Amino acid sequence: MIFIIMRKEILQNLLSLRFILLLLLILSLFASSGFVFVGKYRTQSDDYWKKTNENLSGFRNQAGQLYKLAFYEQDIWIKPKALTFCVGGYEKSLPNCFGTDVFLSAWWVKGRHNFLLHHFGDLDWVFIISLPLSFMALFFTYDSICGERDAGTLRLILSRAIPRYKVLLGKYAGAMITIGMPLFVGLLVSLIIVISSGIVELHTNDWTKILVIVLLSILYLSIFTLLGIFISSRMAYSTNSMVVLLLVWVGLVILIPCLGRAVSDVFYKAPSGAEWTRRYSEMLDQLERQAQAGKFGKNALGFHSDPNHPSVNPPAAARYWNAFSEGVMQQREDGHNQRVAQALAGRRFACLSPTVLYQQASEVIAGTGIHRCISTWEQIKRYKSQLKEYVLSNDAEDPDSLHLLFAFEYAVGNWQAISNKPVDFDTVPKFQEQELALGQSIKLAIWDIGLLALFNLVFFAASWVSFMKYDVR
Amino acid sequence: MICKIAKKEFLLNLMTFKFAVGTILCVVLMIVFMPVLVNDYKQRLKDYNANVAATQAELQKAKVYHTIFMGWRHYIYRPPAILSVFSKDIEHNVGDSVRIGVYEVPELSAGSREVNPYVSILPTLDISLIFKIIISVLALLVACDVISNEREQGTLKLMLSTGVARYQVLLGKLLAGWMTLFIPVTIAFITGLLIWQFSAMIDLTGADWALIGVIYFASLIFISVMYNFGLFASCMTKRSSVSLLLTLFFWMFFIIVVPNLSLHLATFMRPLEPEEATEKRLQEIRERQTKERREAENQIPSRGEIIDIDDGLGRFYVICDQEGIAYRQKLHAVREALFVKHVEQRWNVSHAYVENLFKQKQLANTLSRISPISLYGAVTSALAGTDASSCQDFVIAARGYRQEVIDYIRSKTDNFSLACFFTPFGAVDTNIIKRYNDPTADAEEVQKWKEIKRAQAKSLNLEDFPHFVWKPDVVEAIIRAIPSLSALVFVSVLMFALSFVAFMKYDVR
Repeated sequence: MIFIIMRKEILQNLLSLRFILLLLLILSLFASSGFVFVGKYRTQSDDYWKKTNENLSGFRNQAGQLYKLAFYEQDIWIKPKALTFCVGGYEKSLPNCFGTDVFLSAWWVKGRHNFLLHHFGDLDWVFIISLPLSFMALFFTYDSICGERDAGTLRLILSRAIPRYKVLLGKYAGAMITIGMPLFVGLLVSLIIVISSGIVELHTNDWTKILVIVLLSILYLSIFTLLGIFISSRMAYSTNSMVVLLLVWVGLVILIPCLGRAVSDVFYKAPSGAEWTRRYSEMLDQLERQAQAGKFGKNALGFHSDPNHPSVNPPAAARYWNAFSEGVMQQREDGHNQRVAQALAGRRFACLSPTVLYQQASEVIAGTGIHRCISTWEQIKRYKSQLKEYVLSNDAEDPDSLHLLFAFEYAVGNWQAISNKPVDFDTVPKFQEQELALGQSIKLAIWDIGLLALFNLVFFAASWVSFMKYDVR
Repeated sequence: MICKIAKKEFLLNLMTFKFAVGTILCVVLMIVFMPVLVNDYKQRLKDYNANVAATQAELQKAKVYHTIFMGWRHYIYRPPAILSVFSKDIEHNVGDSVRIGVYEVPELSAGSREVNPYVSILPTLDISLIFKIIISVLALLVACDVISNEREQGTLKLMLSTGVARYQVLLGKLLAGWMTLFIPVTIAFITGLLIWQFSAMIDLTGADWALIGVIYFASLIFISVMYNFGLFASCMTKRSSVSLLLTLFFWMFFIIVVPNLSLHLATFMRPLEPEEATEKRLQEIRERQTKERREAENQIPSRGEIIDIDDGLGRFYVICDQEGIAYRQKLHAVREALFVKHVEQRWNVSHAYVENLFKQKQLANTLSRISPISLYGAVTSALAGTDASSCQDFVIAARGYRQEVIDYIRSKTDNFSLACFFTPFGAVDTNIIKRYNDPTADAEEVQKWKEIKRAQAKSLNLEDFPHFVWKPDVVEAIIRAIPSLSALVFVSVLMFALSFVAFMKYDVR
């Protein structure tokens, strides 16, 4: 019987105007998303390889003298990911370039980013599914119960001794299949455009991730389908049901994420740029005063091209400059952490919305978005230590070196504080972004997935209870 | 007759479920959002006041004009727009401070110093969002069945059979719709303003009230556009469910698809060159300029005895003997003039890049204007002073102020050539400087002497120093809003005209 009800629902939906409108809109959005991605990815990839090769060739040029490797500020760019067509994760507004030498690291938003544009979101799968498609899910369910009551057909069905749960399940399955049709056709269109462009090579791992994202999408759309059935079974008239659903949708999909931003701005705001500049200046001032007071040894601030000149003291200078670079790095680290904390606090609040949960889980699975940025920053710091280790271990083999590595290139070069002998560039560590394995990604996203499932359960239980008590007269 | 129809419709609307839910939701959202937004504004205002005070205090510590000229810690700040609670637009995306010094000409930027890029993962919240979403939906819901529902119920046939002209029916319904929607818009505005007025630290001037009045007026026009849109859909369809579906479909298209797609289209139609290309060009220019400056400096042979004093936090000056002063006077006269010239050359390059950003933004705005929701957004951001042009106004004012500061220093130091530009002292005995310049001298003794000198150095008298005051121009804001506002009025009239034509041909059977 569930099958019959489901088939009736599907046929009824397929022949409706709303289905045709939905199909047209969703297909055009998925196709646009595919074309936008292909154009964007091509440019991003070209830019990425050009900049990465420039960086590598610049780095290679330093290998003639070991100390220069330590001071070369590498620009490490975030590689454009193939799976951004599924979920872009707002990467165009997030830091995409990390600079590092062995002392300091920094991050920037560079490239073709226009900060004047007010980015609503990337035109990717997650955007299409989380906004237009979830909205459309309500269109297929807002009158699923009360509409039938209005028409008198609900009474007719139930008079044939069909248990209510079968009607409910049939309607749910019918709505899900109806929404699933444009979804799968859209996904297919998008995939065909992306793959036929030939610019992306998807590996087994990527396909698995795509599959997980599709499953997440189904889980997400199911929430709105159940929400539609629930509200429909609470209302006597379908127009009232539509009004309530619209407002709930606006609240869940648009207002709660916005409120997350407001909450993070008010309660978790990272110090302003002026505040950071003040802290930075104070730190430098304090260091200089400490140096003048002899904390790092005599003549820590002195400089002369001859390390044996009476005005200089290489070990003291090394202590001063190391304290300087550590202080600066600590400030940058704090700055980065507090900015990230502000954004994540807002997002945690916004997790009251299934849209944010879905977005976050998909980003983690695809390896894009803010978590990728945080992970890259951590990897950059590890790489910095690795490179420092390499320089120090190679320097230890040079008897002419003073074996003092500190962040004052002119002094280190002139005093031969670090070896100026050449090294084999192939042995120099290079940065390679490490991606999380699928299992680890799922582990990270497990809370979000769990909460999405919980939303499903809650709305299913609510629809069940409401429908069981529904007055069909 | 129009009044009778309007009254009947109005009373019917007031008793509907959608009207009750929509109005209550607007008020509740206002009560929830307004305190959060006001708090955000108050926090930013507090930061702004603290920053301005810190800059003033810092200026007072300057002992030579060179410190101010270099602008190491001389920033000016853009005050948060008081009406940003209505629309935030890009106010949070761009930096709110610029450095006033010779090294750079102020330019609009969003560097990692000023802006937190990570928060871009969350959309911004403002009051215009409530109007763009909730009240626009309410307008559509109220309008979408005014004709088709009466046809379904058979009352339209009845009404027209009594000899009422069709235009009277339509005008009556239009009037009723406006009156119905006037209520939630006004209640929401009054609630918001009451909460605002009860918050400390916020003083609204007459100009602010005028702008709020225009925002209110724009909101009413926007609501009438959305209502007329729903009316048109209702006149085009025979069943209210179809008109509901159509209007909501287009609503979603206007609020989600158009703003997003216009951004993507703009980035394709007017691609930007990577920022690094500009940086590379600037680096090349900088290298050429450094070479030119060094050559000019080398023309002036170094003479005399000079000691550098670091007074902390970037305040540097020198102590020199007679010859050192003469040398420095010549050096600064040549070098600083070159600095001023060079930075202008570099600014031409960076400004061209920012202009391209503006052109791309302009294109995106133009494309998105097919959506009345985007038009309304453009009106509110222009009036609130949070759009890109308003932020650019601040930068232009900052540029003028920078020039004022440079001219002031020029006039006080005779084109950077007086000793007060680089030293707070007159000529010091050569032997004393030689003694403390000796690398073998006792470090502690040198430090002690420098401390004494630091204490002796007097701060500059900056009573006549130019002060930066920036206040957004209200008339300019209104002028900026006029094109979008006119477009909204035009769309409203057009939609009504279309509804009129459709209703004249409407089959009431």
